[in-house]
Amino acid sequence: MTSPVGTSRRDMLIGTASLGLAAALPGTLRAAPYDGAAWRRYAERFLLPEGRIVDTGNKGISHSEGQGYGMLLAVAGGDRAAFDRLWGWTQRVLMVRGDGLVAWRWTPEGGVADRNNASDGDMLIAWALLRAAETWQAEAYRTAAVAIVKALASGLLVEQAGLTVLLPGRDGFRKGDTLVLNPSYWIFPAIRAFAALPGGERWGKLSDSGLVLLSKARFGGFQLPPDWMTLDASGTVGIAEGFKKQYGYDAVRVPLYLALDGYRDPYYFQPFATLATKYGGKAVPATVSLPGGTTTQVAASVGMLAVYRLACHLAGAGGDAVAVPPLAPDEDYYSTTLAHLSALAAQSLGIAP
Amino acid sequence: MTRPVLLPALLLAGLAAAGGGSGALAQQSNGGARALAPGVKVEVAPAPGSGSAPAAGKVDETALRYYARIGDGERLEAEIARLRALDPNWEPPKDLFAPQPTATGVDESPFWTLLSAGKVAEARAAIAEQRRKSPAWQPSDKLLQELDLAESAGRIRSASDTKRWQEVVDAAAARPEAVACNRLDNAWRLAEAYAELKQADRAFDTYRTIVTTCPKAKERRDTIFKASRYLTPEQLRELTALGATSNPATGEDYSSVRSAEAELETGRLLERLGNARPGALSASDLSRVQGIVRDKQDVDGAIALGWYFQKQKNYAEAQSWFSQANGWAPSDKAAEGLVLAYNGLGEKAQARAAAEPWKGKSSRVDQALKAVDPPRGPSGGGRSAPQGPSELDRALARHDFAGCIAIIRSSIERSGPTAALLQQRGWCLLELKRPSEAEAAFVEAQALAAREPAPKPAKGGASAAGKGSDRSPAASGLPQTPTREQENAYGQAIARLTTGDVTGLTRDLPRANLTPTQKAEIRASLMATEAGRALEDKRYHDVLRLLNARREIEPEPRNLGILRGWALYNLMRYDEAYAQFKSIDDRLSTEESREGVTTAWKTIYHDW
Repeated sequence: MTSPVGTSRRDMLIGTASLGLAAALPGTLRAAPYDGAAWRRYAERFLLPEGRIVDTGNKGISHSEGQGYGMLLAVAGGDRAAFDRLWGWTQRVLMVRGDGLVAWRWTPEGGVADRNNASDGDMLIAWALLRAAETWQAEAYRTAAVAIVKALASGLLVEQAGLTVLLPGRDGFRKGDTLVLNPSYWIFPAIRAFAALPGGERWGKLSDSGLVLLSKARFGGFQLPPDWMTLDASGTVGIAEGFKKQYGYDAVRVPLYLALDGYRDPYYFQPFATLATKYGGKAVPATVSLPGGTTTQVAASVGMLAVYRLACHLAGAGGDAVAVPPLAPDEDYYSTTLAHLSALAAQSLGIAP
Repeated sequence: MTRPVLLPALLLAGLAAAGGGSGALAQQSNGGARALAPGVKVEVAPAPGSGSAPAAGKVDETALRYYARIGDGERLEAEIARLRALDPNWEPPKDLFAPQPTATGVDESPFWTLLSAGKVAEARAAIAEQRRKSPAWQPSDKLLQELDLAESAGRIRSASDTKRWQEVVDAAAARPEAVACNRLDNAWRLAEAYAELKQADRAFDTYRTIVTTCPKAKERRDTIFKASRYLTPEQLRELTALGATSNPATGEDYSSVRSAEAELETGRLLERLGNARPGALSASDLSRVQGIVRDKQDVDGAIALGWYFQKQKNYAEAQSWFSQANGWAPSDKAAEGLVLAYNGLGEKAQARAAAEPWKGKSSRVDQALKAVDPPRGPSGGGRSAPQGPSELDRALARHDFAGCIAIIRSSIERSGPTAALLQQRGWCLLELKRPSEAEAAFVEAQALAAREPAPKPAKGGASAAGKGSDRSPAASGLPQTPTREQENAYGQAIARLTTGDVTGLTRDLPRANLTPTQKAEIRASLMATEAGRALEDKRYHDVLRLLNARREIEPEPRNLGILRGWALYNLMRYDEAYAQFKSIDDRLSTEESREGVTTAWKTIYHDW
């Protein structure tokens, strides 16, 4: 099976964030609200002139997810020139499959290194295009977005056990009757935007099924979702084989996307809040094995802590349950992105970040 | 605590009636009244919003409406009875099933409906969506509690199913209501988890809590049976005493709890009875077993008792039990025993009479008759006095198969092997569950038989009275006396069956030199084995197909009846599964039949 995101793509991101370091940082600094200045700081670090977002924690590669995040933050920061550079590079370099979807991985040495798509990358790009179309009243962005959404719907949306689900990539996520899914690919606000397009009913169903699956996909003492899960023909959810059986760098985005879409039911945020508060909101382990519950010595990054802070707030555990240190000067791409998106989510929910 | 939903159909019907207008109502009810439970009827409003306000006055209907909303018919019924007792003039409100808007304008009924249908995740999803749309709204505490409880119960089940015992314990500790009396299955799972974690005291405590607090006698009794797997006899005795006396509920008869321990013991004794050496059972054990077998009219138990006494040469008792078994359900197995028991008593005429219905039809009975009227040896001629049964025949009549092997060994040492002796050795080895050696013995017998002059059909010396005590011949067609060669081939087939060589045997069966009766018998056994495999592979339709085909050949024994029950259960034919288990359990109640009955019952009535 080809895995668009690999089983351990985040593992090299976190080298500097040891438990001790995070614990030693000052306690109650708050993340800044998201604005043009925040975007410029982000762009300075991760946006290269040709229009690609560089994953600094992953040997400087680029991927469809990074392009999507960059485009989203550029719209939020009101930077159309940067947005166009990002979209231009994405089209030119990554949209080489011929089916309207985006090749997910690109390396400076070899160019496109895996032509398979990663559905979350496609969704982020399409969603950013829709937001750009609204913000700048530009129909061309909408047309491009609709084309990607259509390609996703025809190739990646499937029905299983009465649920509409999203395959993580075009190739390699069916094992017999069982599907391998990624809970963090349910980017709820993007799905909602797609559902509002003409003929978008199936996306509405995808949203519903996401909430159902997140209620079912609860494992171990913390009742956390796995990074990769299975859904069999009878609707039973499991932890996927062939991947690390854990909650970690992928699934931490689950509460983030829920919050970004305005969900506030504490039930859906409780598992993440429980994990964070168990560790005093500071030295939260970056991964938890499922269902066993073994935690890693590696600490959650600043961006992950920002997500936990949000989750604690929505779970009713108190906004100060998690101390989020400021981003380090060399904070990596993934952590920084999570921190920025958490700020966006907090703003949209009217929560002090 | 409430059971989330006993009667989902009731709730749905109520909602449909209230929301869907009178057409649906007319189909579902008789003149606007629906039976909620035997003897309780509630008037249902023809349509919502038709102006019917909740009955005013002194009666507090809050709980009533709550039970109606969640579809808990049992409690609804109890609450109606309670309110009627308070005010004989009070009538249940007509709009009981109409959605009741809450203060915030959000109707919780759809969430309760999902919860009622067991769709807990869907209920959670719908609530999250509602909260997204109406941030000011909060679901009721009651709804959240019920959801939480349902999830905890599910978590305990799945952790227990996957043997994550500590998680079972943790989940139960976090939500004690999930292991309360109305979720007895989960309470059992908790006790099992403690036992598996080697926390024997806590396992016992959990069982004790159940039998002292859960009011129903049946629950206490089932708990004792469940506990028997993990507790010592002393603990079981204590548990039984507690269950029979603690916190009695009015109207409950706990005598069935008191007898549980004895029945457990009887089950164990009956199992031991077959192999028991004379005197192995105490007089009190024996009388207890006899009482139970008599009460249940348990044919297999009676035959086991018959053999127990026969081995002790207590032929009168043996005769009485074989007669009893034959009276309850005539069979060649019972007749076989009866023939030998009468023979032991010296009542040869009676023995022959008992054999009469099966003569020529059952090899089992025909063989037993040889003990009554021994065939004369080939060289017998005129000189010898009437020959009594040989030492070997007597051992076989006693079901003394180890003795059979010893006698044959010394006989071979004395005067060399014969095909007949080797064949008999094969049968005795099979009885001793040594199938590989048995197969070798039959092969050897066959080789020897090929060198021996072909004997006439009447066989001297060794009889096969003891062979295959669980097999009975097909009762169809003219019996064909097997030749020695066929007997050997048959013995080999049985031995291969026993070693599990199903594939090879199925392949070779059509060409095997066997009588039609023997072939049918082997085929039936193969189908039984295949049915067992099909069940393991979850091919439930195949299980039924195989068992039905097998039943054409010979009656279904108890173990296959249980198999059939589980196949039906897994095909979600719960009523049939329940009836199947019940009929088996009624004949003889054992742990496995009880488990089937209980599981099917709980599934049908959502009583987990």
